Amino acid sequence: MNAMQPGNLLSRRALLKQSAVGFGSLALASMLGSESQVAAAPADPLAPKQPHFPARAKRVIFLFMKGGPSHVDTFEPKPQLDKDDGKPLPFDKPRVQFANTGNLLRSPWKFKQYGESGLWVSELFPNVARCVDDICMLHSVHGTNPAHGGALLKLHTGSDNFVRPSIGSWVSYGLGTENANLPAFVTICPTLAHGGINNWSSAFLPAVYHGTPLGNASIPSDQARVKYISNSKRSRELQRLQLDRLAAMNREHQLQAGPEASLEARIASFELAFRMQNEIPKIEDFSNETEATLKLYGLDNPVTADFGRQCLLARRFAEAGVRFIQVTHSDTKVQWDQHSNLKEGHEKNAREVDLPIAGLLTDLKQRGLLEDTLVWWGGEFGRTPVAQGKNGRDHNPEGFTMWLAGGGVKAGYRYGATDEYGYYAVEKKLHIHDLHATILALLGLDHERLTYRYAGRDFRLTDVHGHVATEIFA
Amino acid sequence: MFLLLVSVALAADPAAGTPEFSAEQLKFFETEVRPLLVEHCHDCHGPKTQWANLRLDSREAILAGGDSGPALVPGKPAESLMIRAVRHEEGAPEMPEGDKLTDKQIATLVRWVEMGAPYPGGVKAADARDPNHWSFQPPVDPPVPTVQNRAWVRSPIDRFILARLEDEGFTPAPQADKVTLIRRVTYDLTGLPPTPEEIAQFVADDRPDAFARLVDRLLESPAYGERWGRHWLDVVRYADSNGLDENIAQGNAWRYRDYVVDSFNKDKPFNQFVIEQVAGDLLPYENDAQRREQLIATGFLSIGPKVLAEPDPKKMEMDIIDEQLDTFGRAFMGMTFGCARCHDHKFDPIQTADYYGLAGIFKSSKTMEHYRIVARWHENILPSPETEAMKAEYEAKLAAKRQAIDEFIAKTNEELCNSLGPGGKLPEKPEEHYPEEAKKALKKLRDELTELEKKPPEYPSAMGVTEGEVADIPIHIRGSHLKLGDVVPRHTPPVMRGPQPPNFTSSQSGRLELAQWLTDPNHPLTARVFVNRVWRWHFGQGLVRTPDNFGLLGEKPTHPELLDWLAHRFIDSGWSIKALHRMILNSATYQQSSLTRPEFIERDPENKLYGRANVRRIEAEAVRDAMLVIAGRLDTSMGGTLLHVKNRGYLFNHTSQDATQYDSTRRSLYLPVIRNNVYDVFQLLDFPDPAISTGNRVTTAVAPQALMMLNSDFVMDCASHFASRLLAEEGSDEQRMDRMYRLAYGRGITGDETRSQLDFLAKVEKALADSEADPAARRQEAWSVLCHTVLASNEFVYVK
Repeated sequence: MNAMQPGNLLSRRALLKQSAVGFGSLALASMLGSESQVAAAPADPLAPKQPHFPARAKRVIFLFMKGGPSHVDTFEPKPQLDKDDGKPLPFDKPRVQFANTGNLLRSPWKFKQYGESGLWVSELFPNVARCVDDICMLHSVHGTNPAHGGALLKLHTGSDNFVRPSIGSWVSYGLGTENANLPAFVTICPTLAHGGINNWSSAFLPAVYHGTPLGNASIPSDQARVKYISNSKRSRELQRLQLDRLAAMNREHQLQAGPEASLEARIASFELAFRMQNEIPKIEDFSNETEATLKLYGLDNPVTADFGRQCLLARRFAEAGVRFIQVTHSDTKVQWDQHSNLKEGHEKNAREVDLPIAGLLTDLKQRGLLEDTLVWWGGEFGRTPVAQGKNGRDHNPEGFTMWLAGGGVKAGYRYGATDEYGYYAVEKKLHIHDLHATILALLGLDHERLTYRYAGRDFRLTDVHGHVATEIFA
Repeated sequence: MFLLLVSVALAADPAAGTPEFSAEQLKFFETEVRPLLVEHCHDCHGPKTQWANLRLDSREAILAGGDSGPALVPGKPAESLMIRAVRHEEGAPEMPEGDKLTDKQIATLVRWVEMGAPYPGGVKAADARDPNHWSFQPPVDPPVPTVQNRAWVRSPIDRFILARLEDEGFTPAPQADKVTLIRRVTYDLTGLPPTPEEIAQFVADDRPDAFARLVDRLLESPAYGERWGRHWLDVVRYADSNGLDENIAQGNAWRYRDYVVDSFNKDKPFNQFVIEQVAGDLLPYENDAQRREQLIATGFLSIGPKVLAEPDPKKMEMDIIDEQLDTFGRAFMGMTFGCARCHDHKFDPIQTADYYGLAGIFKSSKTMEHYRIVARWHENILPSPETEAMKAEYEAKLAAKRQAIDEFIAKTNEELCNSLGPGGKLPEKPEEHYPEEAKKALKKLRDELTELEKKPPEYPSAMGVTEGEVADIPIHIRGSHLKLGDVVPRHTPPVMRGPQPPNFTSSQSGRLELAQWLTDPNHPLTARVFVNRVWRWHFGQGLVRTPDNFGLLGEKPTHPELLDWLAHRFIDSGWSIKALHRMILNSATYQQSSLTRPEFIERDPENKLYGRANVRRIEAEAVRDAMLVIAGRLDTSMGGTLLHVKNRGYLFNHTSQDATQYDSTRRSLYLPVIRNNVYDVFQLLDFPDPAISTGNRVTTAVAPQALMMLNSDFVMDCASHFASRLLAEEGSDEQRMDRMYRLAYGRGITGDETRSQLDFLAKVEKALADSEADPAARRQEAWSVLCHTVLASNEFVYVK
């Protein structure tokens, strides 16, 4: 635990420990450093930290497909489902379902094998198919919650009924960031629905590990900005002067007010804000990207430009040293949530993301970034192999596909499987907790040691669960 | 084998009793065995799921076993199914799923069974759905505890708090100084900063009851209702737009908001407040004003988010009822009923039948005009002389038009008769014989009438409910209206003990009976939940720290006796909210300083014992309002709407253009609350999601919030006005700085601070030398920068 305690981060506990002489100004003042040092950010809680064991990946790009893409229509073909189209499911449906469903429904798309690995991909992802030899398919992911809200929270925080820190916040807490001028955790165009902010919240972890959103899902990505990122009236020098004064005043105040961790968090937030407003515009400026790169991400095509831009931003954040970057595909109207009209909905969604995702993988690889960047793709659950209505599929948390690429995972590999129809994970089951444990392990973090003491208890992302799927390690 | 059967029978017999275990044995269980069970077994055999009907989270449950019989035979590992399962013995299921336990883990379990399976007593088999859960029992009226340090006590509340502190070896923090106190209580009760004059007056008031007088003054201020009304609006998910799919304006929601503010200001008894919101339309009334108020109150049920373009009208109706029921449960009872729509509540003893027993009440009420796309919510027309006049005028117009038609027909008929010569008889269908021009003229008149009939004037109206078709409804299996089960009579959840269950009749929806049941003094939840909310809003944390969840997943109260005692006094006072405020605020507990001995803070970091005051950031609304006050710009006019979109108009057109405007200088309470798109200044300052009932706002401090404080036009404008205000005052810069501190922080500036700020001002002026040649403008800008820094500072946005 001590190894994980970020340098001089003044959590409530640390603050208390260090101010044992009461609130004597001496102790606090020396602890906080003098005014002139603040700009240099002594012992930044976001400073890079050593992992528990050698890391395979240094950062994560999570491509989140909100709504729940269907695994049996994308990456896990089910010949038996084709054969038994229209027949009843020959075994029990889960005890708790989201909606009423009927009989088996075959996939409207054909699958083919690709690459040297021979992994299967459906017609929905012709471009991602080109990259399968870099991908590690996880066909046996399963969760617990069949509703979007609960499933999103479970996926992002490990808990569907309590407010808990997001995985991005845990990773930032565990590893800090490689760029002090940027937040450790950014989320591009996140959805405000289904848990909204709780999906990128630091909860009881210090607020500095909170995800920083760029826009939200209802804003086109070319307009997605960190809010209030620039000041039209004041020069940088003047703002610096102002911030130094502010920090001095805040520290004076802290001596009078008593220990309250959020006071310290607020002081730190201004420093980060100042650094961010210099750095972020540089990342959003694509002018030094070549024509070919823009095309690689589909920025030349209105269908792919929106998501392509998010993917390119993700690469630029990754390059700049951000630890955890989430990209969300969540059209405000037609998400990956085809309770009906599976064909139209999934085709529209796949067209928007397929090329940009392939572009991202290709670009990361050619820049040598894929080696230590873990790309993670998937939704909050999969979809049922049985039909909802005529031509839809219901939510299915019982077994579905997510995939990883780069970051020290086996390339061109498939792990686990669902049953012959794709309803339940059956082979090498990988619960969301296991996935979390595995992702942390790839980053060099032991999910049982990455703890935070809160309200008398050491909390973990994986709670009391989690097994690392070491088999997928390259 | 015979032996095995006997021992199984013995073990499964509850009469056999639980053996006593030594502390050492129990420690072994807690440190070695329980973690193992939790990690490897409880996922499938625990409170959430019980595969094979087996639970492994209590001794009774383990001995009772599941589908395959008892899981364990105390003292006999070889005969215990659980041990055989983890050993993967033949004929036994291989458990746990996934990796086999290690040999060491298996040995631990074996040793535990050999010991006779020690398990702490008193742990019930099924904590979930426990009908004996504390919050379902009526509150007791506990004796007030005795304490040692009686000198500290100012109110019985203090005895409850102090008794616990003394038990734990704590002493309370000293009383806060007067400046701290007036700033704390003024923000607390009004959401506004105290003026320097008010502070000076209070500091000079050395009467022993000076603080009580201050509290009285604040409670009488109309700003009190604006502040505390807003708390309640969080709970009732108040918004001025529908949100969800069709984000259209709830153009009359503001009437409900004003009703809430007014009710707090009038100190309307809380039981009456509850009844009006649930069944105001069913209450007797003496005059138009009372009728209006009671109709508007039912807006509580109507202002929730609705999927107005849901293609299935039946589903839409049930979805709306679900939202009403869930908000109703959370707001008044701290219960999450929503879960029971599809299945028995996983944690609370609320069954699906109970859900539909309540849902029938709302189904029997009318919330919607129709369910076609885009569906239209019902609004009650508000009676008033104005409405009467509008009605009369409209009726008169209609009558006049009808009369004009009648007269035209009579006249034309007569002309027709005349044209047929003497003795001419009117043909059967005279109009067919009219001259073309007359036909046209008549058609025009009739069209005008139709137009007029189609467009009655917009009477003053309010979102709200009225009685519908009264009926009990069937259980919707898995929540689907397509799969109906047995019809359930309307009823209240039987698990809530205390009040007599009401009789629901076939002539009324039952909302009134429901509201009366809810406000029965013996109801186990209503008073407790509300006094806990009030406590939460005063202290930043509830006695039950999950104010929206009093169910089994909620936290237990830190001071259960105090909670019950407060609930009783609240009811005794005639459910007076202001009396409750006085009781809490005049306590020594409330008036503590935030500073105390470090070891107390170390031992109670979350201040569960209330041994000091919490340092708290003021809420979004208070931050904005305080900035406007200090800038000298706050418009304190009350009530009405600032929405620029007409009722039921779209806030977003298809290009997602935002039709909201927030440029008013009215109090924050009056800014439109737009679902899916809350005012960003508020959103960054942790304004709650207005689609969901919230009694426990969070506070964050993140970089985007800091960016807003640094770069938003709103903050910079306020700073600039603040600077102008200071510069316009007579006196030296030192005096201005003192004034600046008194306005923003409520206290005078120290000599050191003055020196630092003067030095800063000089540096800023120097930095501005190149960009601003005019000395007056430079001075104004330098002061703006200084004021901006003050507004951004922790001291400004925190109360201690």
